[in-house]
Amino acid sequence: MLTAYRRLLLFYPAEHREQFGQEMADVFGEAQAENQNKGAIAHCAFYVREIAGLLKGAMREHFRVVSGAHAGLSLYTGRFTMRDGFRFPKTTAVLMTIILAGLMLAIKRGEDIANSLSHVNPQIAPIQPMHLVLLSPIALMFAGFYAAGVIGWGILFALRRSGVHRLDEMSSERK
Amino acid sequence: MEQLPLTEPVLLILLSLAGEPRHGYSILKDVERMSDGRVVLSTGTLYGALRRLLDGGWIERFEERETSRGRQAYRLTAHGRRNLQSEIARMKHLTRLASLRVAAKES
Repeated sequence: MLTAYRRLLLFYPAEHREQFGQEMADVFGEAQAENQNKGAIAHCAFYVREIAGLLKGAMREHFRVVSGAHAGLSLYTGRFTMRDGFRFPKTTAVLMTIILAGLMLAIKRGEDIANSLSHVNPQIAPIQPMHLVLLSPIALMFAGFYAAGVIGWGILFALRRSGVHRLDEMSSERK
Repeated sequence: MEQLPLTEPVLLILLSLAGEPRHGYSILKDVERMSDGRVVLSTGTLYGALRRLLDGGWIERFEERETSRGRQAYRLTAHGRRNLQSEIARMKHLTRLASLRVAAKES
């Protein structure tokens, strides 16, 4: 189960994984070992809670990466600083692509089932190809997210290149 | 970045660290103990909260030297302790107010 948990950690952005991945797996291992002696229901509840918490946490981290909060936009101090470890959120793009592919497959499968049923029972009319109607807004939405991500990353990268972070470091050194 | 008012799990994590520095598993168990088993955190929830608290400078991470594995532990910063105290003051004010209002209604 620990191996499966480590695999699920791949849903997290790389930076979070590098910083906390090993620690999270260790804590999971300890919690799992303690849970061994409990009953089957407690055992199941533990795994459900862990998997749900992990997926929710991964989504939240990806959202932070995409929204830019992760890049150090501090509302508390009113200062905008770049983190040295900031990288393009590749895992976010991969995750979105997988979700899009899943949606397309589900729609196609639904159409196939509807078409096969219409042969068995002529009263059921075949469903018109909906994927073209549904896919264009979905594809547009994903394209919009990709574009927003690329533009956001470009701005942050440009700020970093312009030496904003160096100026920030210099000012903090002076203090 | 954590903002006031704090959610219950975050408040319990901070209270857990208020007494002494702790590592991840110790925080999990302490939160469960403090809430009488009502709040059971998953590792994903715990590390999401720890991450936000670290980003906001409420807590800091350090390597435990006493253990052979040298695992990471967390402790409250002065900024975190101040924020926790102001949150506790806010809650005290609320409970006092709630008690007064409820008592006035009952009488």
